Amino acid sequence: MVEQMSPLGDAYVPGSHGNFADGTGVKISLPQPGSIVEATAWPGREAALAGAIERVTGLSLPHHPGGGVVTGDRSGFGIGPRKWLLTDAAEGLAETLRDALGIENGTVTDLSHGRTAIRLEGERAEWVLAKFFALDFSSDAFPVGSGRATMHHDILAQIQRTGPSRFNLYVFRTFARSFWRVLCHGAEEVGYEVR
Amino acid sequence: MSPRRTAAGGRIDRARTIRFTFDGKPMTGHLGDTLASALLAGGVTLVGRSFKYHRPRGVFAAGVDEPCALVTVIDGQAREPNVPATQIEIFDGLVVESQNRFPSLGFDLGAVNGLFGGLFSAGFYYKTFMGPVVGPLKGTRFWMLCEWFIRRAAGLGRAGDAKDAARYEKMNAFCDVLVVGSGPAGLMAAKAAAASGKRVMLAEQEPLFGGAARWSGETIDDAPAERWADEAVAELAGLDNVRLLPRTTVWGIYDGNTIAALERVTDHKASRARGEPRHRHWSIRAGKVVLATGALERPLVFPGNDRPGVMLARAAGRYAAEYGVLPGGRIAVFTNNDSAYRAAAALHRAGATIAAIVDVRAQVSAAASKLARETGAEHLTGHAVVDTAGRQRLRQITIRRFDAASGALSGAARRVEADCLAVSGGWSPAIHLASQAGAAARWDERLQAFLPPEPTGGWVGAGSFTGAFTTQEAIAQGLAAGAAAVGATPAASKPPQAGGPDLDVTPAPVFEIRAKGKAFVDLQHDVTAEDVRLAHREGFVSVEHLKRYTTLGMATDQGKTSNVPGLAIMADAAGRTIPQVGTTRFRPPYSAVSLGSLAAERHGELRPERLTPMHDWHIERGARMLAAGLWFRPQIYGQPGETVEQAYAREAAAVRAGVGIVDVSTLGKIAVQGPDAAAFLDRVYTNVFSSLPVNKARYGLMLREDGLAFDDGTTWRLGEHEFLMTTTTANAGKVMQHLEYFLDVVWPDLRVNLTSVTDQWAGAAVAGPKARDVLAACVARTGVDNEMLPFMGIVRGEIDGIPVTICRLSFSGELAYEVYCGAGHGLAMWEALMEAGKPFGIVPYGLEALGTLRIEKGHVTGSEIDGRTTARDLHLGWMLSKKKPFIGSAMMDREGLASPERLQLVGLVSLDNRAIANGAHIVEGKQPPDDPHGSIGHVTANCFSPALGRYVALALVKGGTSRHGTRAHISDPLRGRFGPVEIVSHHMFDPEGSRMHG
Repeated sequence: MVEQMSPLGDAYVPGSHGNFADGTGVKISLPQPGSIVEATAWPGREAALAGAIERVTGLSLPHHPGGGVVTGDRSGFGIGPRKWLLTDAAEGLAETLRDALGIENGTVTDLSHGRTAIRLEGERAEWVLAKFFALDFSSDAFPVGSGRATMHHDILAQIQRTGPSRFNLYVFRTFARSFWRVLCHGAEEVGYEVR
Repeated sequence: MSPRRTAAGGRIDRARTIRFTFDGKPMTGHLGDTLASALLAGGVTLVGRSFKYHRPRGVFAAGVDEPCALVTVIDGQAREPNVPATQIEIFDGLVVESQNRFPSLGFDLGAVNGLFGGLFSAGFYYKTFMGPVVGPLKGTRFWMLCEWFIRRAAGLGRAGDAKDAARYEKMNAFCDVLVVGSGPAGLMAAKAAAASGKRVMLAEQEPLFGGAARWSGETIDDAPAERWADEAVAELAGLDNVRLLPRTTVWGIYDGNTIAALERVTDHKASRARGEPRHRHWSIRAGKVVLATGALERPLVFPGNDRPGVMLARAAGRYAAEYGVLPGGRIAVFTNNDSAYRAAAALHRAGATIAAIVDVRAQVSAAASKLARETGAEHLTGHAVVDTAGRQRLRQITIRRFDAASGALSGAARRVEADCLAVSGGWSPAIHLASQAGAAARWDERLQAFLPPEPTGGWVGAGSFTGAFTTQEAIAQGLAAGAAAVGATPAASKPPQAGGPDLDVTPAPVFEIRAKGKAFVDLQHDVTAEDVRLAHREGFVSVEHLKRYTTLGMATDQGKTSNVPGLAIMADAAGRTIPQVGTTRFRPPYSAVSLGSLAAERHGELRPERLTPMHDWHIERGARMLAAGLWFRPQIYGQPGETVEQAYAREAAAVRAGVGIVDVSTLGKIAVQGPDAAAFLDRVYTNVFSSLPVNKARYGLMLREDGLAFDDGTTWRLGEHEFLMTTTTANAGKVMQHLEYFLDVVWPDLRVNLTSVTDQWAGAAVAGPKARDVLAACVARTGVDNEMLPFMGIVRGEIDGIPVTICRLSFSGELAYEVYCGAGHGLAMWEALMEAGKPFGIVPYGLEALGTLRIEKGHVTGSEIDGRTTARDLHLGWMLSKKKPFIGSAMMDREGLASPERLQLVGLVSLDNRAIANGAHIVEGKQPPDDPHGSIGHVTANCFSPALGRYVALALVKGGTSRHGTRAHISDPLRGRFGPVEIVSHHMFDPEGSRMHG
C-alpha cells in the first residue's frame, strides 16, 4: 500500500522550539493512525452500532455525550448525537466496520485521509489547548477517553483526551498545516518538541 | 536618593535603580515604582496638558482612575498613547513621552486656548462651527474646514503607524469561583471559596495583591495589614485549586458569567521571553463571581482643583505608604470625610509636613481629630478651599469659612502655603461590573454613594464594593461571599481582626465649592461645573444627554472620578436629588483594553488557510496562487515574461489542442449515505437521481426554497445507498448546512447521513482530446475506453499502486476525466498523471484557464448562480423535473420568476477587440449614457478566448435569447470602458458538445 503523505510540508520541523526556561512544556507529534472512521447509527440503532464497534475493535463505548475509550492501538469517542469517531493504527477499519454494521443500522465513512491526527502531550498541554478552545480541559470535566467536537476559528477540531496530559486532535486535512502552525506558535511560550 | 523619597517602607526595592526617559530626559526610579511614583520622586509635577484648554496637569490619582497623567509609551517603533502613568511599572530602558503639547510640556502654545474658556464651553463645536447658509463654506463645509484645526488642537496622544511586534493572545479558563479584586474582602473570599476544594481564580489589576491592605496603615491580626495580605496570598498560591492573576483587569461581565479580563503579561518587563505575549485576553467562564472591586475616591470640585499638586487623598497616602514617595514637602488636606485623615497620617509618618487639614464639616469624629492632632496640622473644620495658585505646580491655597448645609462661604480669605493638596470628596464603590451585569445602581444617602444593585444570581459582592468601608466589615463580607459562592456556610472560627482608628465612614453631602474660577468636574475632558450648569440651562434634563452634550465621563478614564460629582452638580442645578437624576449604566470595558488582545492572533501566517494536497507542487512550479475563501488555488502557471492573459490563453489553448490537468480538490464533496439517500437527492435536486445507475454520475441543480437557483455540481452513485455529491468550492459549507437543515428539521424520517469528505479526496481533472491517452498510459486494473468508461461513467482502478476513482465528466467541454484518490496520495497521483502526460504535452492549468474554458462553453458558476437567477434564466429549465416535487418547485413558477423581462444568460463578443470588463453594464445606446437606468444587463465573467480568437464574456441580459445576433455596448464608467459588443448564444464554442462526447 502506498503511504500517506503528511499535509504539513515544511511546517513540520522536528526538534525543540520556543522558550525552554522551564523545560519542555509540550510535545507535538503526528500519530498517523491507519484508519480514521466516522460511524453513525440511525435513531434507535445506537446499540447495534456500539455492538458492531465492539465486535470489530474491542472498544466498549460509553453512551453519554462525549464519552469515549482508548486502548493501545484504537480509540473511539462520541462527536455528536449517534455519531462516533474511531481510529485504528491499522488500515481498513472502515470496510470491516461497514460490513459488520449493515446499512439498516447506520453508516460508516472513511476519513483516514480526510482528517489529520495531531498529538499534544505534556505538563502544559491543557494550558496550550486553552489558548485555542473554549473548553474546560481539566481532568474532572474532560476525563481520559472522552472527546469533544469544537472549532478553532474556521477549523473544526475533534479532541480526545488519551492520557492524563495527552490529547489527540483531529482536524480537517486541508487545514492541518495552518492549524499546526498556530498550535506551534501557541506552544512557543512553554517550549515544545516536535517529533 | 531623591529628597522626595523616604528612607524606608513601601513596596519598592531601594537597592535596585531603574533608568528610564521621560520626554527624552534620563530619569531614575526603583524597582516597584510606577511611572507616576518615580516622576513624583524625581520632583516632576507637570506630566501632561489637558484635553481642551491645554492646562498644566500632574499626577492626580494612584491607580486606574488617573484622569490627567496620561503618557505615550514608546516600544521600538510602536507607540501606545494615553496610558495612565499610574499604571506603568517602570523598567530599565522604558521610554515615555508626554502628550498634547507643542513645542514642549513646559511651554505649550496650545495653552492659549485657556484664555478663550468661554468659547470652549459645553457643546461649543455644535454652536460655533455651524456654517453660513450660503457661500462656499455653507452647511457642513465650514465644520469640515474647522475640524482639521480642532483635531490638532484638542486631543490626547498620537497613535503610531508602525507595526506592533508584540504578541497578543487569547486564553480560555473555567472555574467555580472568580474573585475580582484582592483587598481584604477579595482575599478572604478567595480563601473561603478555596477551602471547599473548588476551582478559584483571583484577579487583581495591580501588580501586587492586597488592595487597601497595602497602604491603609492598619493591622490585621496584630500584624501590619500588608504582611497579612502577603501571607494570605502565599497560602493561596500554594493551593492547586487556585489560580492567581496579577496585573489582570476584569473589564467586562457577560451573560452566563462569561468574564472578559486583560492580563498585562510583560508590560513591566524590559524584554519579552520567546513566545511570551504582551497581553493575554482571558475569557473566563465562572460558576460564581465575587465582586470585591473596592471603591474609588471622588475629588471635591472647587476653583483651581486641577493644578498640578492637587491629588486625591488616597493617592497621596498611597504614594507615601506604598512607594515611599512624598508628593509634596508641605501638604494640605481638603476633605468632606474622615478617610483623608488617614492619608494625612500616612504622609506625616513618611516625613511630610502637613500644613493644614481643611474639612467642610463643622465637627468630625474623635478618631479623626486625634489623627489630625498627631500630624501637627492646623485643623480647620467648617472651612473650604476656594482657590489655588501656582504656575506649573501648586504653591498656595486659599481658604474661607464654609457652611456645609447651605454651601455658603463667609469670612475673609486666608492663604496657606502648600505644594500638594490632598483632596477627598467621599467614596464611590466600583460597581461597574455589577452595573454591566444588570440592574440599576441604588443611591445610599448615608454613604452619599451609588451602591451595587441586588445581585442577579451570577455574582455576590463583598467589601467596600458594597459600601462596607471598614476593613473588619470587608473581612466578614469576604468570608461570607466566598462561602456563599461555593454553597458553603462560613467557617465558625473567629475571622481575622482588623486594627486601626475608628473613623466615621459617612461623608458630608458636599460635592462642590462654588467660588470664582474654573472648577473642573471631568479633569480629562476639561468639563467644568459651569459646563454642567450650562447644559442644564440649555435644556439637557436627562443624565444621558448631559453626558453626551458635555462629554462628561466619556474620556479614557470613563469618568471614574467625575461621574458622581457631575450628577450632584446637575441635581443641584435642577433642584432635584441625586437619585432623581440617576446615573448612567456602566458599559464595558472597565478600563482600556488593547485592540491587539481583542484581535489576537488571526492574521498574517496565523490566518487559517486551506491547502490542497498538491499545494506545494503548484508553488514549486511557479503558480501564482489566488485566495478563494480560505482556499488557495493556482491562478496561472506563468512562464517568464508572460502576462496573466498570455498565460491563461496558452494554458486553455493547450487543453483544447492536447491535454491539461487542473487541481479540483477544492470542490465540495459530501458523502450522502443511507437507505433513503436516492429519495433524499430527488427532493433536493431539481432532476431525478433515484434512476441513476450505480457507477454513473449526473449533473444536478439545486434551488432554494424560494425557487431561485442555489448550487450545481455532479453527484456520483458509488453504491445502491451511497452517493458522492460535489458542490462548487465556494458553496460547500452552505450546501451542507442546507441539506442538514432539511434532514434534521423537515424530513427527520429519512435515513440519510451526510459527511463532509472534501478533505478525504484529492482530485485532478484531466481534460483535452488526449486525456484518454494519458489515463490509458497510467491507469491499471480498469479500462478507460469509451466502452468501459462512457460519458458520466465511473470506474475504479489504480495509478502507481494508488487506488483511484475516475469519473468521465467535463467542465471544459473537452473529453475530460476527474480522477480522485485519498488525499494523502494526492501529490503522488498528480505527479504520476503529469509523468504519464509528458509524451502528450500535458500542461497544468489554473483558475483563469478553467474559467476561460467554461466561459467559451457557457457553463455557469457562482458568478451566474448569484442568488438572483432562476434555472430558466440560465437555460437550465430542462433540468426541472415535472415528475416529482423538489425544494423550490412550489415557488419557481411565480410570476416574477417566469417574466420574459428577466435577465437571461447570453454570450458577448467584443467588437472593438478589447477586453470586456466584469460587472460592466450593457446598454443599448451608442454613447456613454447619462441616464444610469438605461442598463439592460451586466457582465458576469469575461476572458480572452483562444479558441475563438476574441474577447468574450458571459452576461445576464434582459430578454437574453431574443437579442442573439444584435449589438449593444458595454458601459463601465468606473473604469472608463465603453465599447460595442455582439450578443450571442452562451454556447460560444462547440455548441453540439461533440468534443466531450468523442
